[in-house]
Formats: sequence, structure tokens, C-alpha cells
Amino acid sequence: MFNVPRERAVPFGCVTPAPVGEQPMMITGNWREWRPVIDHEICNLCMNCVVFCPDACWQLNAEEDEVVWNAKYCKGCRVCITECSTEALTKAYELDFDDGVVRLEKPF
Amino acid sequence: MAKEMTLSGCAASAQAVKLAKVDVICSYPIRPYTAAMMELAKMVADGEIDAEFIHGEGEHAQLSVVYGASAAGARTFTGSSGVGVTYAMEVYSPISGARLPVQMMIADRALDPPGDFGSEHTDAMSCRDQGWMMGWAETPQEAFDNHLINYRIGEDPRVMLPQFVCQDGYFVSHIPGKVIVPDQAQVDEFLPPFNPGKHILDPKLPVSHGPQIRPDQGTIMDLQRAEAFLDLPQVIEEAVSDYNRIFGRNYSPFVEEFMTDGAEIVFFIQGGHAATARHAVRHLRERGVKAGLVKLRFVRPFPSVQVAQALSKFKAVGVIETSTSYGGSMRGGNLLPEVRAALYDVQSRPLTTSFMAGLGGDVVSLKDFYWIAEVLTRAVKAGRVAKTVYWAGLEEATA
Repeated sequence: MFNVPRERAVPFGCVTPAPVGEQPMMITGNWREWRPVIDHEICNLCMNCVVFCPDACWQLNAEEDEVVWNAKYCKGCRVCITECSTEALTKAYELDFDDGVVRLEKPF
Repeated sequence: MAKEMTLSGCAASAQAVKLAKVDVICSYPIRPYTAAMMELAKMVADGEIDAEFIHGEGEHAQLSVVYGASAAGARTFTGSSGVGVTYAMEVYSPISGARLPVQMMIADRALDPPGDFGSEHTDAMSCRDQGWMMGWAETPQEAFDNHLINYRIGEDPRVMLPQFVCQDGYFVSHIPGKVIVPDQAQVDEFLPPFNPGKHILDPKLPVSHGPQIRPDQGTIMDLQRAEAFLDLPQVIEEAVSDYNRIFGRNYSPFVEEFMTDGAEIVFFIQGGHAATARHAVRHLRERGVKAGLVKLRFVRPFPSVQVAQALSKFKAVGVIETSTSYGGSMRGGNLLPEVRAALYDVQSRPLTTSFMAGLGGDVVSLKDFYWIAEVLTRAVKAGRVAKTVYWAGLEEATA
């Protein structure tokens, strides 16, 4: 009766299989204005960033013995920088990076 | 065995919920609906119902509790009145969007203007665009029946939508009437156990409820609900037909006509004041006024086809508005715009106008109905209505 494009289809009642690890349907990293940058020389692996990140964007890589940042879901709230116990984390403007979030010159 | 009891609307609702074998009930007190929860709390405490009875922290919490419980596969019941209904507003659309057949009782109460306990339909009518079914009962018996009918329709796999089951506060909720309470076997025949399908929470098959969707999926999401509403009339007809057969009732699914044979003017109304309107119609007929009554049983889905069929045979229709829509197209309530829209494509349309009455708990008296009949009679003579809204009894009855 209606032609719904496949890429816009919504499951019944919007009930989706629970994501294991990451939810590819909802990438929120492009909301970011500032990103956290880590200095691994200073980081003492206190895990504050892992605990405080509301989106679980800091995870411990046990093999490398360092914390790893996930750009896909970091919205740039910078709570990790506030909570960092050694000042290993600093903020940097998104446009300072080649892979930074592209923004319009002026809003709309 | 079915038994006849004398019950208020609230007590009748509680009996229906008990027989529907609900799993989760969530309450928060506000009058007048609270009386139903008092009955249910006692039934749970006495072991008459095997249900979880949860006290919400407020109406928003009430709706959130039944949202989650329904997602876990429970048959749920909640309710409220007046400002409680509007306080929970945020949660209505997520529940219908998730296609969870939650049932909520509303015993109407005026929204604070600035403070009023009386009945008025504006509380529920303000929520009519949230993707829930909605309809009114005229008597405790109809309130009882509507709860069971709505569970059956809402939980139908073709539908899966939540339902507002409404009754006028006080006029229906607190005035006892005769209610035939069927036995459990009859109810079980009519209402199968809730089958949530894939919706049930299962640790082996984890799902996300209520995830964020992209803006370009929003229209598709709305289309899903709209399509469910397109399928609704058929399901309603089936359910009401089964109900009539099993319980020996005689309900029309959408609009009920009373003394409309040969009628030229009719009252169009939903809810408890229809009881007074019936008396008014009888008295008017005795005086030679060809009056009748058409009662609306569902306002969502609005039965456009049935309303058009029912009303097109009369000369003038007076819509009794028991809710407000300030600044709306008809300058009165919410029903006349719907009625006029339903009649737009009909070749020979009756004259239509509306009457603000029964607001804030005010009684719509026999005198008011006679006054309305006077306006309609003059309109028929003049061949036109002078305006789209009258405040019943508060102005001159000139057409």
C-alpha cells in the first residue's frame, strides 16, 4: 500500500535487536565541538575517564595497557577532562584535525 | 453465573479490570478516578487478583511503569483524571509508538481553571492525537463493557495500540447504576490472554525499546501508527459483535442512535450527559418535536463514515461539546470540526452547529437540551444556522 524505502524502514514499534558493543543506527560523534586528547606519558590509568564517560567512549585496552577513545559516540561533553586525575587529558577544537567534524561556516 | 450488581462507574471499572486478569496495575491518587484504584488495591490485598499493584510517584511515573510492564509482556492498567492526565502527557506517544496496548482509565475532571473538581472532557480530549484509542461510556455498565472491549481490540495483533477508556467524572464514576457482571468463563471466551508476540522481554533475545531514530525515519514511524488506525474499524466491529454475542448486549460499534426514526433534529453527544439527552428526547417527542439522539462511542478512531451515514438523514444536528478548543475553527469545542469534516463529502448535509455545555462539572440539564432543541428547530425553519457555537442557556436561542 505504501512504498517505504528500505534504508528508512523502521522495525515494528521501533523495537530493535539490542546492540552488542556499539549501536550503528545511532552515531552521535558528529555532535562534537571539542574532543579530548590524551597524553599517554602522563596517564596513570586511574580509570576516571572510563567511569565518568556517560557514553562509554573510554575503554581500557588491557593488552596495550592504555585507555582508548571512541570518536563515533563522543559528544564532546569533556567530563573526562574535568575528572582526569593527572591532567593527561586536554581539549582540542574539532577543526584542528584532518578527520574533525565538518561544520557549516554559519548555522543555517 | 453473571450477576447483577449496583456499582459506580469506578467500581464497575475495577470489576472489569479484575475479570480481565491484569498483571500490573499502577496507581497515583487524584479524584475522581481514584475510587477505581481503591477497589483494585483491596482486591489485590484480599488475593482476589494476582497482580502487581505499584504506587507511582506521580502520573508520569504511572505511565512509565505500565510502559515498561507492557514491554515485558504484562497486561497493564492505569488511570487518572484532570491535571493528572495532562501531567503524564510526555509518555503517551512513546507508548503508542512502541505499539504497547496499555490501558488507561480516565474519569474526567476539569483542568484547573484555576481549580475545579467537576467533569469536563478537555483533559482526555487534549490527548486525542497521541496515537491512543479513545471513547466514552454513558453508564457504569458501558464503562465496565468498554474496558473489556478495549483490551480485546488494543491487544489484537493487527492493532497493538494503547487505549484511553473514558467516563465522565462523578456523573458516571460516582453515581451507582445496575451493572451485569459476567462470570469469568464468559470473559475468558471473549478476551484471550495477552500475547505480546516479539515484544516480550527475553534475556535470550535482548532488544532495545524506544531507541533514538533518525529524522528521516520519523515519517515512517508515524505511518506505522497511522496504518494501525486504518485497520482499527474492522477490528472494532469484530470485537463489539463478539461482545454482543457472548454477553448478550446490543452495542453499535461506533455510533448509537436513539429515537431517530422520523427525527428532524438530533443531539450528537459522547459520554454521561447522553443519559439526560435521552430523557430530553422522550419529552420533546411527547410535545411533538421530532428530536433524536446520536451517541458517539469512539472519538479515536473517529468513525467518519458511520457518523456521516447516521447524520446525513436529519435536518439539523446539535453537537454537544463537553470539551474546549479555544480559538478552534468552530470557536467552540473539538467535536463539531470532526463532524463537519465527516459530512463534507456528503451530498445532502444537515445543518450543524455546536453547544458548549457541561463544562467544569456543570450539569447539562433537561432545560439546556430543550433550549438546544429550540435553536435547532429555529435553524430548520430558517434553513441555516446563524453561528457555529452557542453557549447553552447563556444567550438568546436565535438561529
